[in-house]
Amino acid sequence: MSSVLWFQGGACSGNTMSFLNADEPNVVDLITDFGLDLLWHPSLGLELGMNARRLFDDCASGEKPLDIFVFEGTVIEGPDGTGRYDMFADRAMKDWVVDLAAAASVVVAIGDCAAWGGIPAMAPNPTDSTGLQFHKRERGGFLGSDFRSKSGLPVINIPGCPAHPDWITQIIVALATGRAGDIALDELHRPQTFFKTFTQTGCTRVQFFEYKQSTTSFGEGTRTGCLFYEFGCRGPMTHSPCNRILWNRQSSKTRAGQPCFGCTEPEYPFFDLMPGTVFKTQKVSGVIPREVPEGSDHLTYMAHAAAARVAAPQWSKEDMFVV
Amino acid sequence: MTAVDLFVSPLGRVEGDLDVRVTIEDGVVTSAWTEAAMFRGFEIILQGKDPQAGLIVTPRICGICGGSHLYKAAYALDTAWKTQVPANATLIRNIAQACETLQSIPRYFYALFAIDLTNKNYARSSLYDEAVRRFAPYVGTSYGPGVVLSGKPVEVYAIFGGQWPHSSFMVPGGVMCAPTLSDVTRAIAILEHWKVNWLEKYWLGCSVDRWLANETWDDILAWVDENESQYNSDCGFFIRYAQDIGLDAYGAGTGDFIATGTYFDPTLYANPTIDGRNAALKGRSGIYANGQFSQFDQARVREDVTHSFYEGTQARHPFEGETKPLDPKIARSQGKYSFAKSPRYDVPGVGYIPLEAGPLARRVAAGAPDAAAHQDYDPLFLDVLAQKGPSVFTRQLARMHEAPKYFRWVREWLDQIDLHESFYTKPVEHAEGRGFGATEAARGSLADWIVIEDGKIANYQVVTPTAWNIGPRDGAENLGPIEAALVGSPIVDQEDPVELGHVARSFDSCLVCTVHAYDGKGRELSKFVINGSV
Repeated sequence: MSSVLWFQGGACSGNTMSFLNADEPNVVDLITDFGLDLLWHPSLGLELGMNARRLFDDCASGEKPLDIFVFEGTVIEGPDGTGRYDMFADRAMKDWVVDLAAAASVVVAIGDCAAWGGIPAMAPNPTDSTGLQFHKRERGGFLGSDFRSKSGLPVINIPGCPAHPDWITQIIVALATGRAGDIALDELHRPQTFFKTFTQTGCTRVQFFEYKQSTTSFGEGTRTGCLFYEFGCRGPMTHSPCNRILWNRQSSKTRAGQPCFGCTEPEYPFFDLMPGTVFKTQKVSGVIPREVPEGSDHLTYMAHAAAARVAAPQWSKEDMFVV
Repeated sequence: MTAVDLFVSPLGRVEGDLDVRVTIEDGVVTSAWTEAAMFRGFEIILQGKDPQAGLIVTPRICGICGGSHLYKAAYALDTAWKTQVPANATLIRNIAQACETLQSIPRYFYALFAIDLTNKNYARSSLYDEAVRRFAPYVGTSYGPGVVLSGKPVEVYAIFGGQWPHSSFMVPGGVMCAPTLSDVTRAIAILEHWKVNWLEKYWLGCSVDRWLANETWDDILAWVDENESQYNSDCGFFIRYAQDIGLDAYGAGTGDFIATGTYFDPTLYANPTIDGRNAALKGRSGIYANGQFSQFDQARVREDVTHSFYEGTQARHPFEGETKPLDPKIARSQGKYSFAKSPRYDVPGVGYIPLEAGPLARRVAAGAPDAAAHQDYDPLFLDVLAQKGPSVFTRQLARMHEAPKYFRWVREWLDQIDLHESFYTKPVEHAEGRGFGATEAARGSLADWIVIEDGKIANYQVVTPTAWNIGPRDGAENLGPIEAALVGSPIVDQEDPVELGHVARSFDSCLVCTVHAYDGKGRELSKFVINGSV
């Protein structure tokens, strides 16, 4: 039996909604079969008013043991460090975060906002939003780089905008079935079993990437080609299992013709969405991608691309995802 | 007479942080203040950004209705850039957004609303044990299937949009996807599975067609008693139980409604314009106030910040809108108490008044005369309102009525997709322009106003259904719709004021859905109540 308290700061509830899409296990399975004791959640919580407040106080004081503190959304520090842009149960939410993070055995940041600040922390960051233990790629965030929960772990980051439900449910099942020791984190505190691979891993467009053949336009243009060259797809530079563990059991952005925005990486939204950066590949000299796949460099990439285009078979220039 | 000030923070399960302050006299709410306690500043973030930034940013205003945010953000750009939208793209946009709503209806009903039906305050009802058996969280016989199967309609969203929540696949000029044959057939199969295994099996106890044949409140009462299956369905049970525990007796609200409408006829909105919008809608727009219908006109919308934590007192049209936040601690001394703005609408002959948004508002708009052939004409809820009046129950029934209705529409739209035709027309990205896009999220009217100057966003304002409903008092001290709906509610147990939850939740106000959401510092709030009590 693991007790879980789930709070939302500067959040859209997207990670909660994503979590509710879970299957194998679904949210009911987690509670009835895997002994998850969901003490309170903003959408699913039973208690309201004073009853809820008592529960939070008991968790914060340690009177009620708290195994997992899940935080969704940014920690809002504004205005002027007061946190009054996000009040919850009569206190600044940031003050709840301090108490509950200290009381919990494990602290989990779900979604980009809680992990690194996400969209609310994008320039000009009007609410002084930040992540639990990172601000974008910079270590520290709200709790500081030295923070360790009672179990000795740093904040576990499950990024994504939103996070895929499996990325959290499978971790919970791992904890419930004695596999906590198998959960290894990467340098950004992400479970590496999910975030070692690239978004491109398993993408149905990867053969077009191999031969440097571009999608021609949105809509019917996505019946062929790769979205990396013209449409700003970040699949080769982003770590996620989006094309290994499909979304809603059906598809992924890139499979459905939508460029990856790199939402599991701390820099998301990239280039602060400044003019000319949305759905458009950033280029040098008008033709060379400004960013090349991870581990490559411009010279190597250009040589490889030239050879690949020469080798491109006819089918790679035709529609593949046809009626 | 005993007057008690009750401050309920947090009132969970309204999707976000909602604090409610009410004054109770002799066990009845006599005044109410709803406070949005969280501010994220999305409209500030969007200034100076790429014109298409709203397609990525606004869905993140609300993860519950992100598909609806995307839908109206795309149309705001379509009108600003004067795009051409192929029929297929209109159909796919309609299908995707309607599937988000089909997800929301059961998920909201079981996970957020029906849990309160098991509250011990209702133990006196002879139907209470049955309510607990069905709706108890996680273990209820209907809770599990309702919540788990609510993930099915958004599988269809993912087929076309890659994922749900938070896709950005609707773009000016169309959609990013180009579905294949099996994308469409699988979408049909998923929806049929959901219909058979939840909508008809658990909710209706009859076919979609049988339910949609109901045209009056008397028809609905006769439908309940028609057979065992309907009587014992969740819908049949809810109708009986809600009346037994009095959910039809309070939560009326203002009785004035706004629907911006949604879902376009695939051929009538190929060149989206602000002026051509109403006529192209399938799900109709409309204003109903003081018993009169009038056309929706975006030019008549204003946002008032008299009691909101923002600078300024002048009500502004969203094209001229501002979002300049104040420290709540300081703003409270100016009589401000919420991060929600107060949207108001200039009703011809009436002036600026608050209007309720949501499924009941849509159902009222659907009852207006003079519907065009392609438009929804459905007078059921005009009759329900005439017979029963607005209440927690009526609002809830209106929401649930849309499940079979939208299911039927989505199936029709899927059949109309021509896989061999276009899904996208590349637009000219004009450096200057003004756009307006609107839709109906599950929980009500949702709209964007965008001003593009010099190739970037000069102003972006979002008015959410939650702002319409949960906004605070305005400069004329008119209560917001939820505040008005709370007044008159009976409170049986002040330690566990479940009635407040019912009223607030009947609006399904995803508070995170207010771009500007609130504060609940008990002491200052009390002071305000004393000073500003109505």
